[in-house]
Amino acid sequence: MALSLLEEKLEAGEFVVTAEVGPPKGTDLTEMIHNIDLLKEWVDAINVTDHQSSVMRFPSLGGCLLVKERGGEPILQVTCRDRNRLALQADLLFAYTRGIRNVLCLTGDSVEVGDHRGAKPVFDLDSVQLLRGIKEMEEGRDMGGNPLKGAPQFYLGASVHVEADEIEPQLMKFEKKVMAGARFFQTQGIFRVESLRRFMPYASQFGVKVLAGIIVISSARMARYMNEKVPGITVPDEIIEELSSTEKGKALQKGIEIAARTIRTIKEEGLCSGVHIMAIGNEKVVPELIEAAGLNGRAR
Amino acid sequence: MRAKITTYQDRTLIPPCQAACPLHMRIREYVDLIAQGRIMEALKVIREDNPFPSICAHVCTHPCEEACRRGKVDKPVAIRALKRFAVEFGGDRMVEIEAETRRKEKVAVVGSGPAGMACAYYLRRLGYPVTIFEAHSEPGGMLRVGIPRYRLPREIVQREFDRLIRMGVELRLNTRVVSLDLLFEMGYQAVFVTIGAHQGLRLGIEGEEGPGVVDGATFLREVNLGLKPLLGEKVGVVGGGNVAIDAARTALRLGAKEVRVLYRRGPEEMPASEAEVQQAKEEGVQFDYLVAPLRIERERNKLKVICIRMKLGEPDSSGRRRPVPIEGSEFPLMLDTLIVAIGQAPQLPEDFRLRIGKGATIHVDPVSLATNRPGVFAGGDAVTGPATVVEALAVGKRAAFRIDDYLNHRYPVPEKEARPVVGDLLPETIAMIRKISRMDPPHLPPEVRVKEFVPVEMVYGWEEAIKEARRCLKCGAGAEIFSRDRCASCLTCLRVCPYHVPRLNGTGEVEIPADQCQACGICVAQCPAKVIILRKPQDRRQIAEELNHLARYGPSKPMMVGFCCQYGLYGTGVLSGLYREKKAGVYIIPVSCVGKVEAEHLLEAFRLGAEGVFVAGCGDQCSREDTALWLGRRIEKVRESLGEMGLEPERIKLFMPGEGRDLLEDLRDFSQKVAGLYLASLVRQEVKYDSCPTEAFGRDPTHDRPL
Amino acid sequence: MIVAQQKPLEEILRMIDPYERIMILGCGTCMTVCGAGGEREVAFLQKALEIAESREGEKHTFIPYTLKRQCDPEFLDLLTDRIEDVDAILSLGCGVGVQALAERFSDLPILPGVDTSFLGMAKEWGVWDERCAACGHCMLGETAGICPITRCAKGILNGPCAGPKGGKCEVDGERDCAWVLIYRRLERLGQLDKMRRFYPPRNFERPKRILRRT
Repeated sequence: MALSLLEEKLEAGEFVVTAEVGPPKGTDLTEMIHNIDLLKEWVDAINVTDHQSSVMRFPSLGGCLLVKERGGEPILQVTCRDRNRLALQADLLFAYTRGIRNVLCLTGDSVEVGDHRGAKPVFDLDSVQLLRGIKEMEEGRDMGGNPLKGAPQFYLGASVHVEADEIEPQLMKFEKKVMAGARFFQTQGIFRVESLRRFMPYASQFGVKVLAGIIVISSARMARYMNEKVPGITVPDEIIEELSSTEKGKALQKGIEIAARTIRTIKEEGLCSGVHIMAIGNEKVVPELIEAAGLNGRAR
Repeated sequence: MRAKITTYQDRTLIPPCQAACPLHMRIREYVDLIAQGRIMEALKVIREDNPFPSICAHVCTHPCEEACRRGKVDKPVAIRALKRFAVEFGGDRMVEIEAETRRKEKVAVVGSGPAGMACAYYLRRLGYPVTIFEAHSEPGGMLRVGIPRYRLPREIVQREFDRLIRMGVELRLNTRVVSLDLLFEMGYQAVFVTIGAHQGLRLGIEGEEGPGVVDGATFLREVNLGLKPLLGEKVGVVGGGNVAIDAARTALRLGAKEVRVLYRRGPEEMPASEAEVQQAKEEGVQFDYLVAPLRIERERNKLKVICIRMKLGEPDSSGRRRPVPIEGSEFPLMLDTLIVAIGQAPQLPEDFRLRIGKGATIHVDPVSLATNRPGVFAGGDAVTGPATVVEALAVGKRAAFRIDDYLNHRYPVPEKEARPVVGDLLPETIAMIRKISRMDPPHLPPEVRVKEFVPVEMVYGWEEAIKEARRCLKCGAGAEIFSRDRCASCLTCLRVCPYHVPRLNGTGEVEIPADQCQACGICVAQCPAKVIILRKPQDRRQIAEELNHLARYGPSKPMMVGFCCQYGLYGTGVLSGLYREKKAGVYIIPVSCVGKVEAEHLLEAFRLGAEGVFVAGCGDQCSREDTALWLGRRIEKVRESLGEMGLEPERIKLFMPGEGRDLLEDLRDFSQKVAGLYLASLVRQEVKYDSCPTEAFGRDPTHDRPL
Repeated sequence: MIVAQQKPLEEILRMIDPYERIMILGCGTCMTVCGAGGEREVAFLQKALEIAESREGEKHTFIPYTLKRQCDPEFLDLLTDRIEDVDAILSLGCGVGVQALAERFSDLPILPGVDTSFLGMAKEWGVWDERCAACGHCMLGETAGICPITRCAKGILNGPCAGPKGGKCEVDGERDCAWVLIYRRLERLGQLDKMRRFYPPRNFERPKRILRRT
């Protein structure tokens, strides 16, 4: 019996599409609700980011509750940067009682890249320890070894960096995450399908579901910025070339075109179980992208 | 226990030049003074250690240069030529003639060669009445009758004797002493016998007696006394020592067309000085090695000298390979004159009743210099056989003090040197030292010099002398870690030394091997615990004393203080130009290498009220590596500190002359800038006065050493 | 080695403002080695302070002194005679030294002249890097001698994260990713299996007092 709709679809072999929404920096939830309403018609599950890039925002847990309220399928992103093991376990207990089942366990970006640079980085746990810890909770014990009165169950996921320039350490980390209990993976942004072609035969031996991360880049400048400032993302030169040689005002279109191209290839070659779209502030282009990628018939 | 060190303790090692010099002259000190342009001070040091430096300046065989460690890097420092530069620069200044008679005992010196001169000089300084007895009509011994005029001009020897006479030494010429008993009867209570070795040795071959064959020492004596012997056109000289070379070159000057030196061994075994041989060759003297005369025949008015070729066999008692005649290799040599210069021996009157040693020389106790007769001492060629001028001077000096011991009934204790001598340079260190070619003083061209008996060697110009003097490595005057317990082993000295000298010893402690240290001073200025000092007391004291002086006697608010390297700037006269600028409120602190200026020194200048501080080094001429680099970092540190107080970074500046830049121009610009900043700060009322000068660097009572 | 940096002059001036006779106390061990507070720094600081305050018209009296260490009671004994008319001690020792002084001379204000920054080593002259976090549970044997706590920006034990680019940490392009370094060195040692192991969350407990009575 699948724990969640996401698990059901992935296990059934469907080509799953997920996307992410970023919560606001403040109490005004209008735009976020609007994005949730938009996306829930087009994707199978929605990630809510957790202080993405270490920028303080409305919490992912709150965002997931909203997604559930609005009738969508949430994926709770949990990073280890801001909370120690007590706080993390508490949040997960709460999340379970509110029907949240999909949890993506992340280590988290470092404090220095965000907007509260002097804050104390917690990192009491890393993603592997968090996965393990949750597995223990599922067995009825907390991380201190104490029995739980009511144990949660989650469909656990993690991230994997397929386009890293030093790939071996990343593969070792991937394996550790699998051993620790991760069942599905959302990769960091893929720009060269080649890297996925190399990774998937290796990854398939573990029986986990992989969703390829797709980033919509809206300009050459954004690409360069991400290369410099955003961890885990490297936009190749040829993409930056392609973007910068587009005529003015059409760069976003080009970005969508590039992303759609990638998705199409992945689907045609059956490389992995689906895609995870990161539109980063441009959630409104997701429907257009999905159509351009030939994934019609998603709209419910 | 904290290590105590006084400001004045000399912790240097004896450099090899000083150790090799029979007079133990403080060569490192006077060469350094010359390098800084302080020639008169150099001359003072020279005259303190050597009573007749003008003579050595011309003819010393410079054992110092043979020992000079610079020779292992490229070529030895031209010490003798530098000494001559200093002596000629100073002329009659710095000459001591004060001597008063404080003793009753009369002392006789038999022989007026260099040993006799030195003995008389020091005895006179000690207050004794001294009489020099000289058999010849002219005083000076070998200086006068042995060494040719083109090597040692007459006037120089004469001037020294004039001085001895002014000091009160009695000089009796044309007086041959035949009996020592007579001297004692005349009232002398001690006698120094130093009659030299003037009797030429004979070849002992057939035909040696007779016209055309002359003894070398005799030949030189006659020429030096004014005679002009007729030599004919072809002259041969038998021998390999300096006397042989002198004879050969003198023969050329007397008009001989062809002069050949016949030596029975090879060029490497020749005892004559290389420089002399070189000059002789330039003048046209030919050298026939591995040749010896067998017998001399006379044909018509010429000499037919039958010679035989030699080859080198086993070493003899002197360690040199014995020459062995090659059977059947005789050949004749037609000559007009043959000069025999194979050595000399003393002519000792039997009546002296002195015990004889090897080679007919006088036997003496090596420590007391006493002969077998009480009150009779001996030294010089008469004791050693033909030797060098400087050895004679040294023994004459020692004899004076031994005679003083004797007359005061003191036990003659041998001199001991407490400080060790510097060891050898390691190849690793040699590799790091920048090579600079030796500059010899100019010589008259060979064609010119053979015509006359004028001095062959000329003297350095000012710039050349200073440049040559800067090649000195300052052996033994480097840095040392003087407080083991305060050294934190931080390894800074190891890391900053451009010559990689400091190292960890077997027990993991840092040490700075004195033999390798190049005395640049970088580690001293960088050590965070301030436990490294320079061994030479003047180096330690210099900057602190200068700053103290500024604090006490300088203008109460100097506008600018400048630390100026004495080596480059003084030598080129720029520093003296800066001294003139002093009127504009510039206070110059001379330093021997700006590499020694520490960050606290610079700050102190500001603390004493300077509005601007500059450091002027000698640029790429600095004979040590990296000094400007580290100084630059210290200046940067001071700049940062000033910045924290709101003082502008332009207030401190480093000047490196060179590349055609005019230091005075740059300084004027800097001076104006500083004046501008000063006015601005007055306007902003930032500056408050504290016009009470305080002691800049006191003694730290806990450490008993200057800060 | 404990590594520190001298505080900005301005801050020191503010700290010493209320006092008249101030001892500037250097330390002859760690602070000498890292160039922050040895004998030379004491001398330099004294002159800098005198210059700075002469411009303000202030007048303090400074008494410079350096102890071999400030963190042992016997060394502090050497000060008892010297602080009779001292109003405050500006210590250039590390945080330990400052506190030792304060505990010993509890009637005297002790001011810190340096900011103690880390336990580290010199890479070359003038360059000091942090190396040890004093976590009390050294696992360097598992990570080929490279500490994941000090050298990984996030201090994680199951690394790397997705951040490294060109082997450099996502935080600071100059900084190597510790886990890439650990991978490479474990590979060189033939001990990569260590990196496959699961390392449980850190035990942040560590002793605050260590006894060694035998």
